[in-house]
Amino acid sequence: MIGLHNLSKHYDDLRAVDDVSLSIETGSVVAIVGTSGSGKSTLLRLVNRLIEPTAGHVTLNGQDTRDMPAFELRRRIGYVIQDHGLFPHWTVARNIATVPRLLGWPKDKIRARVEELLRLLSLDPATIGPRFPHQLSGGQMQRVGVARALAARPELLLMDEPFGALDPVLRGKAQADLRAIQQTLGSTILLVTHDMAEAIRLSDRVAVMRAGRVEQFGTPAEILSRPATAFVRDLVGEGERAFRFLSLIPATDLAEEGAASGQPLPRTATASEALDALIWQNAEALPLEGGGRISRAALLRAGHP
Amino acid sequence: MRYADRLGLVLALPLIAGFALPFAGLRPNRIAAPVAEWLPHIFGWPAAAGVALVAVAALARSPLRLPLAALAVAGWLALLGLGASRLAEDAPAYARVSPGAGFWLGLVALVLLLADALARRKPAPVARLALLAATVAVLALVLRLWPDVSVLQEYAARRASFWAEAQRHVALALGSFAAAVVAGVPLGIAIQRTPRLHLPVMNVLTAIQTVPSIALFGLLILPLGWVAANVPGARAAGIGGIGMAPALVALFLYALLPIVTNTVAGLRAVPPSVSEAARGMGLAPRQRLLRVDMPLALPVILTGARIVLVQNIGLATIGALIGAGGFGTFVFQGLGQTAPDLILLGALPTVALAFAAQVIFDALIDLLPGRRP
Ligand SMILES: Nc1ncnc2c1ncn2[C@@H]1O[C@H](COP(=O)(O)OP(=O)(O)O)[C@@H](O)[C@H]1O
Ligand SMILES: [Mg+2]
Repeated sequence: MIGLHNLSKHYDDLRAVDDVSLSIETGSVVAIVGTSGSGKSTLLRLVNRLIEPTAGHVTLNGQDTRDMPAFELRRRIGYVIQDHGLFPHWTVARNIATVPRLLGWPKDKIRARVEELLRLLSLDPATIGPRFPHQLSGGQMQRVGVARALAARPELLLMDEPFGALDPVLRGKAQADLRAIQQTLGSTILLVTHDMAEAIRLSDRVAVMRAGRVEQFGTPAEILSRPATAFVRDLVGEGERAFRFLSLIPATDLAEEGAASGQPLPRTATASEALDALIWQNAEALPLEGGGRISRAALLRAGHP
Repeated sequence: MRYADRLGLVLALPLIAGFALPFAGLRPNRIAAPVAEWLPHIFGWPAAAGVALVAVAALARSPLRLPLAALAVAGWLALLGLGASRLAEDAPAYARVSPGAGFWLGLVALVLLLADALARRKPAPVARLALLAATVAVLALVLRLWPDVSVLQEYAARRASFWAEAQRHVALALGSFAAAVVAGVPLGIAIQRTPRLHLPVMNVLTAIQTVPSIALFGLLILPLGWVAANVPGARAAGIGGIGMAPALVALFLYALLPIVTNTVAGLRAVPPSVSEAARGMGLAPRQRLLRVDMPLALPVILTGARIVLVQNIGLATIGALIGAGGFGTFVFQGLGQTAPDLILLGALPTVALAFAAQVIFDALIDLLPGRRP
């Protein structure tokens, strides 16, 4: 459990972060969404003390983070940034080993951990491990950045627009991978994004920030169905509310008995993907892989709170 | 364009000039005006034509350009030695044979050709060091053919002092270089971290740089003279208003600006996201400096160091004016006696030393482990 207690950061008259309190359950993902300049990065950097707060404090599993040296705290918290920040003079393997080396892990333990992480992120240890960052594609750099942050099994993972530099196709893939990894490892993640769709897709709870303050903190369904302010409603985007809502529901939840013709939907599909396929194939219902079907009526019923 | 590339064509001009202008000059004594001697006149037409043929073959774009150019340079140098001996045979005892404009122009063209042929092969660092050693060896052999060339006659008359001055020159240049690196890199790191210090320090260093070198040597005579007179043991340690100490201090001061500037520039060039990541990963300040910032800044710092090394080898000649010794001794003696050969005896080794230092330093930079490929 991570607690942010009345955190503030003021630059002269500017309240970059203004009295923010949040808690993040162990094993859950919290997304901070907001427009540019709303204080998201500042809030994130207050958590690992890259910035010291004007007021308030942070607790990490019950411990006040002010009670330990900053660099020690940071070794317990993974940090992923948009431009990766990979060390250009080190190989991929050496980059990933950064924190384990700082912590003085034995060599073979580090080597095994690096391999494990490369595999976890679908990177081949033999070919990618010895490469230098400039020999990687953008998507590979991003994954190495995540692997490096996860290396020492951090108690919390901070991610500042981690997919911001990726093209839409890669971004979708990276989001799916992150969700899968998070579920495998049970990581606790605080993720900053300006993309509401990304926040809804990836997180258990969303904090909407505006001018340094949290306007609403709730589950994605709550944010979609009961936006607390006009700002939150604008950010959700009225035009796509139903699709966003459907994207939260697994297609299997809406499955019914019976058969249908057409291309079967994968069992991992969301309701929004099911509706998209249905409209595209102009079908009343589509079969679900492994049995059952999904009907248009069920989807339309599910598309609002 | 198939036979010779553009460079070959451009270099043909100085090479032709090398044949058209006097190859050597014969002077009745050390400081008299020379009488021009042309290549065909010295060796006869058939031999001159043979030489021209090799030179022209080296201009051609072919896989043989490198060996031919090397052969041509060595041959050209040997030719001067042989020619000098021929001319000296029929001349009076005090007569001197010195290189002429044609020799110099031809040499420049052939050396450039050789350098280009070498650069195209992109030799590995170790190979470059080996080539440098080979060059020194060949040069030592070829210079044996030069006993009648005036520069070597000046050398023969000063064999012992030449090597002593050489040692002093190297000590001056390397000593001030090492001191500047040891002081300049930490200074650069300090002003990069403390922006308040940046402007004042840079202003002082730039001001020093604008003082003409001779004036700076002069300015140092007073304070160091005072130190020698008033600090116990200073004089015994070789510190005084003239001699090595002020020369070392002056060269050190000149060297600081490039080292500090490049250290700051190198550190500034570390990408912000990399610094942010290093901090975010939990590297302590010293670890960040030693493991991330310095390794990334190193190539830029070394570029500055290389400039300083070459600059100091050249500037060290001026140290002779205040009794520091070095190759400058011969340059200034030669100027005083209007003996051009003596000036060359100081200038040519200085150029060679600067060149060798550059080759060695570049090779060492490339040999550094863990550099970004
Ligand atoms: N070091 C700083 N000094 C002054 N103002 C800052 C500093 N860092 C951030 N700010 C300001 O704080 C506000 C929030 O910045 P930031 O947290 O980076 O926003 P976001 O990440 O949401 O785009 C912005 O108005 C920014 O200009
Ligand atoms: Mg930001």
